[in-house]
Amino acid sequence: MSRVKLTEYRAKKIILGDSYRGISVRVDEKGKLAPLEAKGSLMGWVAKVDQGVKKRMKQGLVAVDVDAKKVADAFAVWAKKGFSQFLLEPLFPHKSEEEQYLSLERVREGVRILHAKDGGIEIESHPEAVTNLIVAGESDIAKVAKKTGLNEKFLRDLLQKFNDNFFAFLEINPLVVRDDIAIPLDAAVLVDSAGAFFTKNWTDDDLVKGKAQHGAEEVVETLAATTPAQLSLKVLNKDGALFFLFSGGGGSIVIADEAQLQGAGDLIGNYGEYSGGPTREETHLYAREVISLCLASKAKTKALVIAGGVANFTDIAKTFAGIIDALTENAEEMRKQGIKVFVRRGGPNEKAGLELMREFLTKEELLGTIYGSDTVITKAVEDAIKFVKP
Amino acid sequence: MISIQDIRKKGQKTLVLGNHPGVVQSILDFDYACGKKEPSILACITSNRKSLKFFFGKGEVLIPCYPNVAALPKHLVGKVNWMLNVQSGRRAFDSTVAFFDAFPDAYGGHIFAENVPERHETELIKRYGGEKIIAGPSGVGILVGGYLKIGAIGGIGLAQLDQGKLATAGSVAVVSTSGGMTNELITAVAQAGKRVSFSISIGGDRFPISSLGEVLSLAEEDAATKAICYFGELGGVDEYEIVELIKAKKLTKPVIAYIAGVIDEAFDEHMQFGHAKALVAHKDESARAKRDALRAVDAIAPDTFPEFLAALRGLSTPEFHDRVVPMDELSKRKASILSTREVVDMDAVPVFVKNKKLVASETTFAQKSLEAILGREVKSDVTAAFAEAVFSLLIDHGGNVSGAVNTMITARAGKDLVSSLAAGLLTIGPRFGGAVNEAARVWIDGVASKKEAGQFVEEKTREGKLLLGIGHLKYRVGIPDPRVAAIAEFATLLKKHPHYDFAREIEKVTTAKNGNLILNVDGVMAAIFLDILAEKEGFSDTELTELVDAEFFNALFVIPRSVGFIAHFIEQKKNDEGLFRLPDELLFVRRKKQ
Repeated sequence: MSRVKLTEYRAKKIILGDSYRGISVRVDEKGKLAPLEAKGSLMGWVAKVDQGVKKRMKQGLVAVDVDAKKVADAFAVWAKKGFSQFLLEPLFPHKSEEEQYLSLERVREGVRILHAKDGGIEIESHPEAVTNLIVAGESDIAKVAKKTGLNEKFLRDLLQKFNDNFFAFLEINPLVVRDDIAIPLDAAVLVDSAGAFFTKNWTDDDLVKGKAQHGAEEVVETLAATTPAQLSLKVLNKDGALFFLFSGGGGSIVIADEAQLQGAGDLIGNYGEYSGGPTREETHLYAREVISLCLASKAKTKALVIAGGVANFTDIAKTFAGIIDALTENAEEMRKQGIKVFVRRGGPNEKAGLELMREFLTKEELLGTIYGSDTVITKAVEDAIKFVKP
Repeated sequence: MISIQDIRKKGQKTLVLGNHPGVVQSILDFDYACGKKEPSILACITSNRKSLKFFFGKGEVLIPCYPNVAALPKHLVGKVNWMLNVQSGRRAFDSTVAFFDAFPDAYGGHIFAENVPERHETELIKRYGGEKIIAGPSGVGILVGGYLKIGAIGGIGLAQLDQGKLATAGSVAVVSTSGGMTNELITAVAQAGKRVSFSISIGGDRFPISSLGEVLSLAEEDAATKAICYFGELGGVDEYEIVELIKAKKLTKPVIAYIAGVIDEAFDEHMQFGHAKALVAHKDESARAKRDALRAVDAIAPDTFPEFLAALRGLSTPEFHDRVVPMDELSKRKASILSTREVVDMDAVPVFVKNKKLVASETTFAQKSLEAILGREVKSDVTAAFAEAVFSLLIDHGGNVSGAVNTMITARAGKDLVSSLAAGLLTIGPRFGGAVNEAARVWIDGVASKKEAGQFVEEKTREGKLLLGIGHLKYRVGIPDPRVAAIAEFATLLKKHPHYDFAREIEKVTTAKNGNLILNVDGVMAAIFLDILAEKEGFSDTELTELVDAEFFNALFVIPRSVGFIAHFIEQKKNDEGLFRLPDELLFVRRKKQ
């Protein structure tokens, strides 16, 4: 479904196998740092934050050639900044001339390989220094080895691991090349999350966790993990005026676009969607989180927009019943705050679903406007913007 | 790759991998609305079901199910043109490959699953790219207005069929990566007073099997298509493919495009939207850049969705005639229990006595009963005679057997006819009377396995299984069961009798171990009847297995023995001996220690 970041620790463990000597250190749930093993022998190590952060060096998230004491200090400082996953590796002394750049990316035709002899350069700004090759089949590997000067067996093994482990993108920068050996010093990997079922070499636990999230996002994430339907939520502006219950796919982007085009992009409180035929109960739990966000916002005039395209197979009456369950719990507070609800939706059981919603919103004095598939998809959000920004 | 025009002319039969009742029903409704005489869905590949019942128009049809593509019967194999794969992302790759291995000439299909790994997608592209039309993975499928629907495309509700005017052949091609927006656009086309020529939902995954470029070429080559209506999102570089095609004059028909995703500009960091590729990694993948590029080659790419709809309304398109869909009729239909058996024809008035003389019946009660449970008329005298013989033979074997005992005891407890009969019938099972069917299964399996009898017995014994149809308490080698000998004579009326031969081969092996392990009456009945049905009535192996699965062969015992139980009941009622109590000496009770 999507490309997600793998921790550097796991990435290298997969690429280098048992010979990899890196140690993964995590802050546990209570906020305590796991004790370092074999402290005494720690001399000349590299410590870094392992959470997919770009330009770590510049941000001071890498400590080079440190001993046990300095490692502990660095970890403590980083933990205070909100990071929780770290990596410890033996320092690998090398000259900067030995550094090269290598990346692999899955593309339609196979795997695209980018290579540069000089690892220090910015790839984006020096396209002329980069060799761009496609490996569509086994036979292309030798060609790539020839053109890049990289060891063929190294490339073959790397591609094998890339494929076997459902990698989507791998960047090694720098790659240290010394005679016939190539050693990845830094490795960034995006895996294809749909591959999780097919490999045992990495699990959810090896995916990079972002910095602490909003509570509602966590609730939805947990919910999403237990259903075949798609549920997602991202809080954009906790004091926004427009809160969205989007029913998924391209329709959500069209509607959000309309808000942006009308100059109300900064009023958007959240983005996310419920789609893929969630049950009434799942929709209820999802809607509850969005409604709580709306209630908690400090904006003066607020609107809840329940909108989406003409569904292909999601049952409108069933999902609307779930949303009504969540609205029922909060109707009084919503009325008190003067929140109005704006609706546009179509699909199977559209008539029954819209009727149900209209009746409920009218009774609870929450109705802004409500439309079906015979009205343009953006109408409800237009009405909502006029309401919050007259 | 088949052209859209050829899709309209050629076969439109689809095999469903997996089962999605809502989607299948919507396809049958579409077929009916298009005036097709029969459903386009040939069968579903799904376990645990023999068939699924759907509406076709107001009536109902059974769509057969098979456990795998290899099990599809011959008469269906040659008909398969399309695949609808509704299995999960985990199984999508394997099942798609299995489908095209079995039907290499199929035109393509739709993979419904989300969560198909990228690696599987690129592998499918390598195998089928450019050759088959495959919508997905993800998305909602393929629609050719008035001709073909594969997937949820256009919706699954009856009202949507009418609203989108899917049964009408039109002139606007609808192309989108987003499943939801595909339907939004199909609806919008209908509301703009146009009709859809065809629509392919490319799917929001990073590597759709049929690429946007291929789908656009289909539109360009299709004479009926006059314009293309496209919905795209931020992320990916597909839209530059459109730009290149227009520049190279390979795409000359008007393109109206809406590229969503300017909202991304409102965020500090790029957002991952609903679809796999809707994440901007490089700047030129932004919605705005792609819009500008399209405008630069004179495609219509408005800023807002309402403007996009207005452009759609402004298209000039040829006239069309809508097919009338009888919505009222369809929305009132109700599912029934399927029953096609009408054993006695109520329209034909029977004549039993004519001119004060009996009219001789052409068929016996036994034959009529057999025809009723087989669901077809018996062709051969041998079959009729066999039914007569078996039914007569099995009416009763005296009051000692457990079913008769229970009938009598119940009768003496003062119960009525039906209760007492039920008590007897409920006793029928694997150890008493109910072994005919399982014996039939053993013979079918044995013949099908082509194994040598010794090996077959060896394997069954090792699995700890009993060979039903073999063994008797009383009779043994040297004291043959006279009924078995009588029934076995039927074999002489047949040209071939593989099941009977196999049963006898098994008997040779088992009696070598123990003289009691002879072919018993259940076993011989099952074997001979299988051979008669095959040779005289033309039953195929599959049909015979279906009979066994429906426990048909046990009816051969249940029908006549019901008569026997009733006989015992009536005798008990006549004698009226009062409540039966098991005599103390017959019941061994372990006394508790004092």
